[in-house]
This record gives sequence, C-alpha cells and structure tokens, in this order.
Amino acid sequence: MVNHLVAKDLCFEYHGGIRALAGASVEIARGELVAVIGPNGSGKSTFLRCLAGLLVPSSGSVTVDGEGVVALPPRERACRIAVVPQFLPRLLDVRVSDFVLGGRYAHLGRWRSATQHDRAVVRSSLERCDSFDVADRLMSELSGGQRQRVLVARAIAQEAGLLLVDEPTNSLDPEHQLAVFRSIADLVAGGRAALVVTHDLNLASQFATRVLVMQNGRTVTDGAVDRVLTPEVLEPVYGPHLFFGRFSSGRPIVVPWADER
Amino acid sequence: MNPSPRRSRIFAASFVVLLVVLFFASTCIGPTVRFAPADAWRGILAMLGLGKPLDVATVQTILELRVWRALVTIGVGASLALSGGFIQGLFQNGLASPSLIGVTGGASLGAAVAVLIVGGYAPRLVLEHIDAGAYLIPLFGFIGAFATTAIVVYLASGGGRTSVTALLLTGIAVNMCVAGLFAALQSLTLANWEVSRAILAWTFGTLDDRTGYHAGVVFTGLALALACIPFTAVELDLLKGGESDAAAVGVDVARLKWTAIFAAAVSASAAVAVAGQIAFVGLVVPHLVRLAIGASHRVLLPLSVLGGAVFLLGAEFVQRWLLGDAALQPGVVMSLIGGPFFLVLLVRERREISAW
Repeated sequence: MVNHLVAKDLCFEYHGGIRALAGASVEIARGELVAVIGPNGSGKSTFLRCLAGLLVPSSGSVTVDGEGVVALPPRERACRIAVVPQFLPRLLDVRVSDFVLGGRYAHLGRWRSATQHDRAVVRSSLERCDSFDVADRLMSELSGGQRQRVLVARAIAQEAGLLLVDEPTNSLDPEHQLAVFRSIADLVAGGRAALVVTHDLNLASQFATRVLVMQNGRTVTDGAVDRVLTPEVLEPVYGPHLFFGRFSSGRPIVVPWADER
Repeated sequence: MNPSPRRSRIFAASFVVLLVVLFFASTCIGPTVRFAPADAWRGILAMLGLGKPLDVATVQTILELRVWRALVTIGVGASLALSGGFIQGLFQNGLASPSLIGVTGGASLGAAVAVLIVGGYAPRLVLEHIDAGAYLIPLFGFIGAFATTAIVVYLASGGGRTSVTALLLTGIAVNMCVAGLFAALQSLTLANWEVSRAILAWTFGTLDDRTGYHAGVVFTGLALALACIPFTAVELDLLKGGESDAAAVGVDVARLKWTAIFAAAVSASAAVAVAGQIAFVGLVVPHLVRLAIGASHRVLLPLSVLGGAVFLLGAEFVQRWLLGDAALQPGVVMSLIGGPFFLVLLVRERREISAW
C-alpha cells in the first residue's frame, strides 16, 4: 500500500519545446483525495502522467515511499499506482470483463493465468462502478459514460494504493458523476489515496480532502477545500465569471456565471 | 482477450490432424515414385535409425528428400505466420507483415551476396574454403534479414523509445535502400548467366532439395520465436489500448517491443533464409486466425504457427498435385494468390483502413 507520494518541482517539455510543466509539486498520503483543478492547458494531465511514471520529467523528482517512480519496474509501479486515463485512443474489440482483468496484469505471474481470486476482484470492481451488467459486452459497444466507469473499475481491480484519475466525469450524467466520485472516495476511506484531475469544482468541493490549483504548468495553491475554492484564489486563475455560494453542508459552490460586470 | 476456448481447441486439433495427413500425403505422393503409407512409415523410421531402410537405396533417398522438403515447408509456413502474428500485434494492424521491417529485402540482398561469392566473385582465399552455396546462401540470407531489421529498429529508435510509426516509415525507407542495392547486384551480374539466374531463382522461393541443415536453421528460428510467446502474448493484448495505457497497468513496453521484434525477425529471417522469398503467409495466416477465433495473442500466436504450417504445406501439396512437373515455385504461387486475396481483405475492411 502506498503511504506517501512526493513530487517536487517537476518540469516537462513536449517535443517542439512546448513547456507543459514549469515547477509542479504535490504530496499525497493515505486517506487523501486531492482534486487537481486549473484552466485548460495548465498542465494537469501532464502532471498526472509524470506522477504515474508514464512521462519522465526533465527535472524534479517523483517518489513513492521514498523510491523514484521512474526507476521502479513497471509491474511494481502498477501495483502501487493505478491510472484512469481520460479516454482510450481507439475503440477496443475487447470484452469488458477481459479489459478489467487487464488491471490484474501486475499481480499475475509470468506463467500463471487469472485465478478465481482475480476474477472475483474483477467482478467486485465492476459492481462497485455499477457496470457488472455490461461485463460481457465489447468495449467498443459501450456508451462514453459506461466506458468511463469501466476504466475506473479496471483501476480499482489493479488494487494499487494510489489512484491517479484524469477527468473521470467528463461524459457522465449527474447520477454517475456522483457514483464515480463516491467509489473513489470509498477507496480513499478504505486507506488508499487518490489524485483526481477535474474541471468540476463542485464535485471537488464535495469529495476532495484537498484542492490543488494549477496555472501555466505550476502548482499555485494547495490547501483545504474551504481555503482554495474562494474568489481570492480562483478569480486570478479562471477570470471573473464565477459565482460563489454554499451547499447546505457549508461546502463551497462555484459555478460559471455570465454576469454583466 | 479470451475467445471461446472450445473453439480454439477445435481449431488447434483440426490443424494438427490436417498437418499429419498433409505430411504423409506429401511424403507418399510425388512426381517420381508413389509410396504406400506403410513403406513411407518404414522409410521415416529408418531415417530415425529405427529399422531398415527401403530396399532400393535411390527410393529411400527420394523418400528422405520428400520428408525434408515437407519438414522445411512446415517450418517455413509456421515461422512466417508466427512472425506475422508478432508484427500485426506490435503494429496493431491486421494487414502488417514481416517484410515491413526489412526481413524479406534484407534476406534477398544477403542471399544475392552469397550467390556472388559462390559464383566466383569472391577472392580466391574465400572460395577455396567453400564447398557449396547450399550452406552459404541460407547463412547470408539470415544475416541479411536480421541485420536489415536491426538497422530499421536502430534508426527508428530515438531517445530510448521506438515509436511504431517511426518503425513503419523507417522500414519503408530501408527497404527502398536494400532494394536498390539488390537491383544493382542484379544489374552488375546480368552478363553472368549462371549467377543472375541463381539470384533470380532465389527470389521465387524454393522448397526443393532441402536437407536437415535447412530444417535445422528454420526450426531453430521458430523455436527462438516460440520461446518469446510467454513474454509477449498477454502484453500484446494489453497494447490494444495504446502504449501508455499498457504501461499504466504494468507492461514493460520497451521490453515488449524488443522481444516481439526479435521474435518476428528471427523466425522470418530463418524462414526466408532457407526457402527464399515467400510472401503472403505472414500476412494472411494470422489475419485469418484472428477473424476465426478472436484477437487474444495467447491463442492467436500458437494457432498461427499451426495454421501457417498447414497453409503452406497444403498449398504446396495441392499445386504440385494439380500441376505435376509444371508446378511453380512456392513464392510464385503465394504471390499469385496473395495479391488478389490482399485486395479482398482491403475492400472488406475499409472501415479499418479509414482508421489508419
């Protein structure tokens, strides 16, 4: 189980010199659900991919429990960190249950195929994401929302201590947006950690233990929900068209507002 | 990832039965002598040192030639199909084939150089130590094929990563260079009838006069590639979601690529080294197996091995049976049926092509 992920001063440039990260840092410990917010192009997804060890930062370091994430063998890394990508590049001709079973890859031995235990994990992961009914369908037949939930299910099946989730609610209806965040929050309550890139400030408000704000490749603010989802922090980042309110629980509400100022 | 296991088992069993039947049929039936199955069996046992050879020595020799021919055919078909399975899995494209990474072109060049050496173009010192082209041509073919693939992979790799697109484009460019050199050799030797005929014949592919040496080469390549299956099959399945996605679930993508390219190169190189250019098997067999039983490489790769062996041995047997003395070289037959077949695949799969 991952206890502690630390990223310090990450910088990253894509080919052609596009600077995506220019000093991004974060610390995540067990039991934390960190929401990463920021405008389009602020480097959120690149940051997530660096944390996952899928991109190698040009400077800075990422460690899991003291070990450099880039140097970890891929299987070992996958046992500690699971990634939910924003989307898959192509329509897969793969059955949903087999796709989720792919999440068990790091746990399987070279000569061993999936055991009863692996299949049970796949089943419970699908159930957690309200997707068991599509287990026998092909990935290519699923709607965008169903596919998103299956991606989360695979990450759950991976049984990693840390989940890195890239915009999980993009194509989901409100009920399933809540369901996805609830299942992530449940995992965190069970002793894991999660970092979720999202544009939905209100889901972040309700579920995150901390909010991290990114701008121009830097992490500019990192703190409790109440301290970050405020006009003082968000207006310099997103601009003035925001309306701030409160849920009955007291948590902040932030919505786009086409006012006439 | 898991197609119906029953269906794959039925396919595997049918392929094995077909393979045994075709092996015996190709041994018994031929242009000169026709063996009764019992005689053929006795002759084969004699080859293994288990009993007396057939009564007439020449007849035993004919049988042994046919056995080696059939074995080499099996090895070549299996190797080419397995190589194609690896390449198609790696490129994530059901219309890819081993020649993309330079195997065929490289083998042609290597074999042509060997023909030149045998044909007297090498310094006397080398020539004095060479008995026959029989050994030299496969060896140079293999070196040419493997070296060309290595050059393609090396040039396509930058910063420790090998992108599949770069591999494809580099393969096309290197293939052009190799084809140019090959054409130059052909052109330079045009006046030497013997040599230019030998080079030309090699490009048609041949399975005649094969010996234990050829079988040894092709089955060594096949065995090395088979040994790579456990390290690549599940991983190639996971590659379907893209390289980054595979890496996220724990696949060592760089190692997967190297292993798959090595397996594809070593098996196809050995096959073309002993049999010359035989196109099409590496493309169509894994493609058809995928259509029939699904795309899981754990099943696809082993079944391609069996399917490739059955396909080439079957095609060879049928055409030699039908055409007799007029039988064509295997490479020619494969090209003749391969081109139209490839067109049919393309038309059928327009949807897939539009996604290239």
